[in-house]
Amino acid sequence: MNPHPENLTVSPREIAAPAIERPIVVYAGYNVMNQQDHWDEATRQLILRRIHDVPPIRFFSPAEAQTLTALVERVLPQGDRPPDRRIPIVPWIDDRCFRRIIDGWRFDNMPAEDEAWRLGLRGVDQAAQAHFRRPFVDLTDDQQDVVVRLIADGSPPGAAWQYLPAQRFWIYVVLRQVCSIYYAHPISWDEIGFGGPAYPRGYSALNHGYPEPWEVREVRLDETSR
Amino acid sequence: MRLHVNLSPNWLLDAEMREYPTDEPVDFCIVGTGAGGGVLAQRLARYGFSVVCLEAGQWMDSEDDMVSDESGARPLYWNDLRITGGNEPLQLGANNSGKTVGGSTVHYAAFCPRLHPSDFRLRTLDGVADDWPMSYGDLEPYYEAMEREYPVVGPSPFPWGQPHGYPYAPLQSGTAGHVLIRGCMELGIPVVPGGPIGITSGTFGKRPHCIFRGFCLQGCKVGSKHSTLVSHLPDAIDHGTEIRAGCLAFDVPVGHDGRVTGVRYYRTIRDGHDQEEQQRARFVVVAGYAIETPRLLLNSRSARFPDGLANSSGLVGRRLMAQAGQVVWGRFDGMIRQYKAPPACAETEEFYETDPRNDFVRGYAIQSVSPLPIAMAHMINEESPTFGWELRHSMEEYNHYGAIGVLGEILPDERNYVSIADATDQYGIPVAYAHFNLFENDKRLIRAGVRRSLEILEAAGAAEVHYVDRYAHLAGTCCMGTDPSTSVVDQYCRSWDVPNLFICDGSVMVTQGAANPALTISAIAARTADHIRDAAARRDL
Repeated sequence: MNPHPENLTVSPREIAAPAIERPIVVYAGYNVMNQQDHWDEATRQLILRRIHDVPPIRFFSPAEAQTLTALVERVLPQGDRPPDRRIPIVPWIDDRCFRRIIDGWRFDNMPAEDEAWRLGLRGVDQAAQAHFRRPFVDLTDDQQDVVVRLIADGSPPGAAWQYLPAQRFWIYVVLRQVCSIYYAHPISWDEIGFGGPAYPRGYSALNHGYPEPWEVREVRLDETSR
Repeated sequence: MRLHVNLSPNWLLDAEMREYPTDEPVDFCIVGTGAGGGVLAQRLARYGFSVVCLEAGQWMDSEDDMVSDESGARPLYWNDLRITGGNEPLQLGANNSGKTVGGSTVHYAAFCPRLHPSDFRLRTLDGVADDWPMSYGDLEPYYEAMEREYPVVGPSPFPWGQPHGYPYAPLQSGTAGHVLIRGCMELGIPVVPGGPIGITSGTFGKRPHCIFRGFCLQGCKVGSKHSTLVSHLPDAIDHGTEIRAGCLAFDVPVGHDGRVTGVRYYRTIRDGHDQEEQQRARFVVVAGYAIETPRLLLNSRSARFPDGLANSSGLVGRRLMAQAGQVVWGRFDGMIRQYKAPPACAETEEFYETDPRNDFVRGYAIQSVSPLPIAMAHMINEESPTFGWELRHSMEEYNHYGAIGVLGEILPDERNYVSIADATDQYGIPVAYAHFNLFENDKRLIRAGVRRSLEILEAAGAAEVHYVDRYAHLAGTCCMGTDPSTSVVDQYCRSWDVPNLFICDGSVMVTQGAANPALTISAIAARTADHIRDAAARRDL
């Protein structure tokens, strides 16, 4: 949590507790892929490859991939959508590690990203064992969330965390990579009402947050809960 | 060689580019093609010198290689390894450097303000940092030239710094830009919409005007946003410059006379295949920005220069500066849809100068930001590492967020530095380590800037506000000065130690104010070129 500078008047983050396990904002009927004829070909092909050419698992062991799948589902749950509308995340993390893709930097106290994932997944299981005496994948959703919170708070039990700063792993590896993959997928753009690729058409409704004629207005499902 | 590169929908650069043999010395070998190297190459070529630019990145065709997609912009960035540390480790990669013909100008937001006259005299006025070896007046004609050549659009007159106005009309702002404007107006804070930014509001040569697609940081497919790729490099090529792409410099060798003889580099022949080459040159210019420049110099060790090239002062890599770039965002009940229109579209410099009522010296600007979804998610991740449905709900509000950013001056300090790490890159070359801390004045300034930004958002009607720490715009690692023991280069970017070596990028900046650095880097490059021309005419180069 970022401590706000002292003497600031900041309204507290509004948290619905417990979180409602369904979307609270809907752009009903919005499907950004219906706009693909208006996109330039390079962008269109890139997005289509992202949707259809999901890479195989080549880096993680089957057990690691299972743990990672369970972890990713806690980060951004997708159980509200039918299986064919779920965004593949684990294969792209695996692809990054397999091809040793990095973003140009790492912290001086962190291992390389592929090693960090491997070490971190071991740490997730060690924390689960220390707390619940069972591997992470065998825990209930609520128990898994307890383990995740131990990691996010920075001092989970487990030998792996001696070599891997837990908070940095959580924010700069897990959250960052999962969100980078999830919010690169058109299904997430439908979810948040993002207009997506915009060349050569551009945008013309620039004022008052208006939608373009092909965009959809939001419907809020949380009016009673707010 | 034949170039065949789209620079805009109306502009296919279909030109014969001159090629120089590597074993015959060219007049100038320039490492880097960004805001410094790109402008310097164009000027020197026009003045009749033979110029080869070594660019680590590749050509990016606006139609085939650039995309309207956040994660697809990855090929524009410097993704090779760097190590980061200190109390406030800098996030490098995408935000802070580019690896493509045109350097990071290809993916910068294109805010193009000038420094203020006071920026050149911090030691005299505030007793901190150092004065520059040049005055604002020395750079002013070059600012004017760059504002016409980039070009820069914005208000006229412009209310801050030395009085001036912009040659081209301001660009329309989107709803996200109006957040900053509305908040400032509510509080009575002067604010300007539509500039100063390097994005054309009308057709400029073969560059159409902006279409408000909002992907400025992903490379402008329209060609309306400035980069040296569209502003200066085509003209440089017209005047005989060779841009040699895919060439990563790793050593600047020195001859027996203490002069550099050229540049050694790895050239990518095709994917995954490289060969070592050496370009001979009468003069070498290092223009690789504030991390790669000191890395190259520190890696260029020899018997004569055991601590790295041009480093008798011990200051190569020292005084690494960033600018405070704290992003502050709020949730508004109304829709913002911040992905529309360029992120750079409005700013205030009302708090730029030292104010005796503050508990710190110098100041900050506040500018529009407008992150796309992935960048927005990363901000949420860092501010509050929530997960699960809470995270999904936070991002469902994407279209209700409006974001503005502090751009705060961070003072140079020798305890912030770039050095050589133990790790190596894919070529086996030792990579850079960047060490960054905040000191007391920086912390106070940032606190004030964040507080002011939160007030502005609340005045604009934000229902809840958030912020994250960000740092951008690296500078200062080969600073210019008047004394060889306390600086690396003179006011014309020439190394004190090696007479035929120049450094011409953000690393020479003594301070960097609260203004985005690209325009200043280009203005310094243009001034350096004029000095080189005049010195050569006097046979004094």
